[in-house]
Amino acid sequence: MLSAFFSAFRTPDLRKKILFTLFIVAVYRLGATIPSPGVSYGNVQRCMDILQGGENNQVFTLLNLFSGGALLQLTVFALGIMPYITASIILQLLTVVIPRLEQLKKEGQAGQAKITQYTRYLTLGLAVLQASGFVALARSGQLFNNQCTAPDQQAIPESTMLPMWLTLTALVITMTAGTGVIMWLGEMVTDRGVGNGMSVLIFTSIAARLPSEGWQIWQKSKGIFALVMIIGVVIIGLVVFIEQAQRRVPVQYAKRMVGRRMYGGTSTYIPLKVNQAGVIPVIFASSLLYLPTLGLQLFEADKMPKWAVWIQNNIVQQQSPWHIGIYFAMIIFFTYFYVAITFNPTEVADNMKKYGGFIPGIRPGKPTAEYLDFILSRITLPGALYLGIIAVLPNLFMDLVGGNLQNFPFGGTAVLIIVGVGLETVKQIESQLMQRNYEGFLR
Amino acid sequence: MAYVFVSVLIITSILLTLLILLHRGKGGGLSTMFGGGAASSLTGSSVAEKNLDRYTILAGLLWIASIIGLGLLLKANSGA
Repeated sequence: MLSAFFSAFRTPDLRKKILFTLFIVAVYRLGATIPSPGVSYGNVQRCMDILQGGENNQVFTLLNLFSGGALLQLTVFALGIMPYITASIILQLLTVVIPRLEQLKKEGQAGQAKITQYTRYLTLGLAVLQASGFVALARSGQLFNNQCTAPDQQAIPESTMLPMWLTLTALVITMTAGTGVIMWLGEMVTDRGVGNGMSVLIFTSIAARLPSEGWQIWQKSKGIFALVMIIGVVIIGLVVFIEQAQRRVPVQYAKRMVGRRMYGGTSTYIPLKVNQAGVIPVIFASSLLYLPTLGLQLFEADKMPKWAVWIQNNIVQQQSPWHIGIYFAMIIFFTYFYVAITFNPTEVADNMKKYGGFIPGIRPGKPTAEYLDFILSRITLPGALYLGIIAVLPNLFMDLVGGNLQNFPFGGTAVLIIVGVGLETVKQIESQLMQRNYEGFLR
Repeated sequence: MAYVFVSVLIITSILLTLLILLHRGKGGGLSTMFGGGAASSLTGSSVAEKNLDRYTILAGLLWIASIIGLGLLLKANSGA
């Protein structure tokens, strides 16, 4: 293991890639700590302290998680990677609905590049919207649950040098440009570094929060901290186990002559992962579930109609059985949905037929597609249940730890993303290492 | 003074955004994200792209500088 690590550093081009990735990560973290101009750093810190002492602030927990805590501090990179994720999700969904996008997707690389370009435009559009939203919320004090609205405590104080509207406009523009920069950093990592840039950046921001979250639990009680660590290790082991799990469907290729060369005749397999969808379903579900929370912000606390109170008590509250149930159900639904989008059995079967491949015992064409579909829908069930359980776990442990939940470091979305991205990146380093010498990290 | 910084900030922000949009997208979207297949492309970058990179980095540095400058200016002013 360690020797493999050293040999990764001894390979010049790999070393360059790893160092480049680390450099970009450093730039990203640096940007996540520079406060935007016009935001009073001291006041924001004080507000955060008040919130930490207060009972709950769960409105922006997920967003705050994805931005590595930069959001509530209103830094330059406050929006983080969220607009890009949202834009990608939207375009993914639209490819099913809009025929032109579906056509682009089928065109292969060129079409994919065009879709990526649309995603980037949409990202900036969303960034403008979200930046305006957050700046408005921060100005009115709602971002901090109306905890600090006194004139000398505001996050964005009045300044004698600039009119307020100009400060706010500059803030929105800065944050939007910040999102653009993050997007570019991510793309550079994908291009010249190790791993997929976007996921590496998400990984960084989540990992950056772990120490402080752990510290909070440690301060509360050392016994619970030890318990959390043990549970965390067990969960990580479980997640690695299931992420790696796959069913190998054997495929036999017929021999064929092209010109004077002989092709094919090999037998390979199609790997069908148990969790084909990754963590996307969790992200979808939690983004959707936090919509009612946002909606309730529109009501004033004492003048809520009855149904709004019910939603407040049952759906927004993360310990309530309603919330957990809906979350779980949505994750299972989205797992199937996303697998259906990304893996098309008919297409795979057609491609196999084209190159003279077949699954032993199954006729090519439609029966093969049906067979693949059958297997996929069977193995996706444990995958979906596993995703749901892992994601819901911190909600169940809530009373035990008594902190913020999605931030709860060793459960839920955080652990899924960290393990998923970690595995992916290590695999990529390993495959590059394999070109040089034949001993890797994973055995 | 603050107005100068604000206008520099706004101009560099817009410039930076435009320059970034000029780049070819290499993200590949969500399919390669979160445990998709590792699709490696072996495309080199042309001279034009290298220049674009340089301009983008330059704009980025200016942008950061104006953010820090404006921040410090506003802070010094509010403290006094």
